[in-house]
Amino acid sequence: MSRNQRIALVVAAVVVAAVAFVVAQPGDDEDAGPTADTTPAQTQTDSETGAQTEGETGGADTEEQTEQQPAPPPEPEVTRIRITGGEVAGGAKDIRVESGEVVRIVVTADAADEIHLHGYDITGTAAPGRPARFRFRANLEGAFEMESHVAADAGLDPLVARLVVAPT
Amino acid sequence: MTLIAHGLVGRSDLPIPEWLFGWAAAMVLVVSFVALAVLWPEPRLERERWRPLPGGLGRVLAGRPVQIACGAIGVFLLGVVIYAGLRGTQSPTANFTPTFVYVIFWLALVPVSLLFGDVFRAFNPWRAIGRAVGWLAGRISRSDLPAPLSYPAGFGHWPAAAGIFAFAVMELVVSDGDKPENVAIAALVYSALTFVAMALYGVESWIARGEAFSVYFNLISRLSPVETRDGVVGLRRPLAGLAALEPVSGTVALLAVMIGSVTFDGASVGSLWTGIAPDIAGFFADAGLSPQRALELTFLVGLIGAILLVYAFYQLGVVGARSVGGGFSTGRLARAFVHSLVPIAVAYVAAHYLTLLLFQGQSIAFLASDPLGDGSDLFGTADSQIDYSLLGANATWYCWVGLVVAGHVAALTLAHDRALALYDDAKLAVRSQYWMLAVMVGFTSLALWLLSQVNS
Repeated sequence: MSRNQRIALVVAAVVVAAVAFVVAQPGDDEDAGPTADTTPAQTQTDSETGAQTEGETGGADTEEQTEQQPAPPPEPEVTRIRITGGEVAGGAKDIRVESGEVVRIVVTADAADEIHLHGYDITGTAAPGRPARFRFRANLEGAFEMESHVAADAGLDPLVARLVVAPT
Repeated sequence: MTLIAHGLVGRSDLPIPEWLFGWAAAMVLVVSFVALAVLWPEPRLERERWRPLPGGLGRVLAGRPVQIACGAIGVFLLGVVIYAGLRGTQSPTANFTPTFVYVIFWLALVPVSLLFGDVFRAFNPWRAIGRAVGWLAGRISRSDLPAPLSYPAGFGHWPAAAGIFAFAVMELVVSDGDKPENVAIAALVYSALTFVAMALYGVESWIARGEAFSVYFNLISRLSPVETRDGVVGLRRPLAGLAALEPVSGTVALLAVMIGSVTFDGASVGSLWTGIAPDIAGFFADAGLSPQRALELTFLVGLIGAILLVYAFYQLGVVGARSVGGGFSTGRLARAFVHSLVPIAVAYVAAHYLTLLLFQGQSIAFLASDPLGDGSDLFGTADSQIDYSLLGANATWYCWVGLVVAGHVAALTLAHDRALALYDDAKLAVRSQYWMLAVMVGFTSLALWLLSQVNS
């Protein structure tokens, strides 16, 4: 095979690879760029208001949210998790969302507990009759574990749920 | 890194989607056959070609002052690892030692070696101490030291294979393997063993064959274009360093340990392993072991099983290659092609631990400021946090696939070049390549499959 033939074959293979990639790739895929670029600072404030103030002042927080986003999307679905006797009712489940969605999680517990979401680093406190409420924009992609600090300290399985954030 | 994944990491990866898996697998096949057709018809990598860095830079970089400085840094870091592990907090995430050993030392040195050559050799604390002691002893006794024993040929790379296996057991099997104290004690024990072996066989010969991390990082650095020769840093063709590797007894086992341990780590979070693990653990528990010991023994069985499978699969390819003729023994062929497994092993490590290094590696910023976890702030970075937005899921997937395919291409190229050098007959060389190609495609498909299994 001559040198030119070799080069032609490599070029052909690269073209085939590129075309196959474009064809195989799901159509609505806009790459990770925009979602990954969203400023972490935004996530922080978002999640802090979501996790820490909502537990006490639920209404005020909603107003704040609407101020920040002129055209609010329809209210996101709330995931409810119940912990009784240190165990998650129905076992720890995956919460599946897409990157950029607003996530709402409410954890009720029959004893005082601290619920921590890794990666996003949000902690909420729960007590009987006072659930821990989480509300934040899922800007980080990947799988993140939500754990109970009380169960972890007691040497039990601390997993409350897993948040799975897929790219859009 | 099972334990680490649960202990240290706040974020875990998503499995590659089906369409990307399919595309990548197809690409592996396309690349393989294109490579067969277009790769050079004469061996090229076997030829020596090395040039020193221009302007005396090569001599300065490998010079005595730089060597002493690097060695001192290495010894200092080993000291910090042991001190922080023993004296610091025993929470794996808040102590400097586990993250430094499992992420910075074990993982960050991989890309560094790939780019800049055998950097670990300069920083190797055991080598530095061994050489310093030898120099001091020579000064004091004012006579020649007794010559060390000659390194037994039968040992080959076996001590290194055993060392890397022990590290994998510590990392993946022992349930308290990421506890700072245990890491520090392991470092002490390993240091003691290394010094004894160096005293017996000499510093340089133990470093070249027996010391596990020296051998491991040297293998990886052979992919790099940077090589130090006779005290001068210079450049060579990429991959040529691997062609120059002299396989000894135990080299195949070492590569099987390297690939097998990553395979097991990847598979241990997948449904296949989590399906059978409880059964094996139940068997050991019935035999009277505590649940924790039963689980550890189960993981040990899994780890050894993965290593043996990798070993057997490679041997299968070698037996196949032997069947085409040429009159080589399987042992000879196994050693002749083992260097082509190195890029595959590196691709496994690079893809599998990419995000661990990228995200958990950031925590060294706050751990360095507060190594003991007692609230100190040595460099003012104790409050820094991990930025998980560094690499999105899509970008992660593309990096994985890119690394795996690149490793595959490098492996094919090496095997092809070696076949041309080994067989006089070009036809035999090509026919032996079908077998090696099948082995490579198998390993690469396994790597892709593991990446489609994470957390699924």
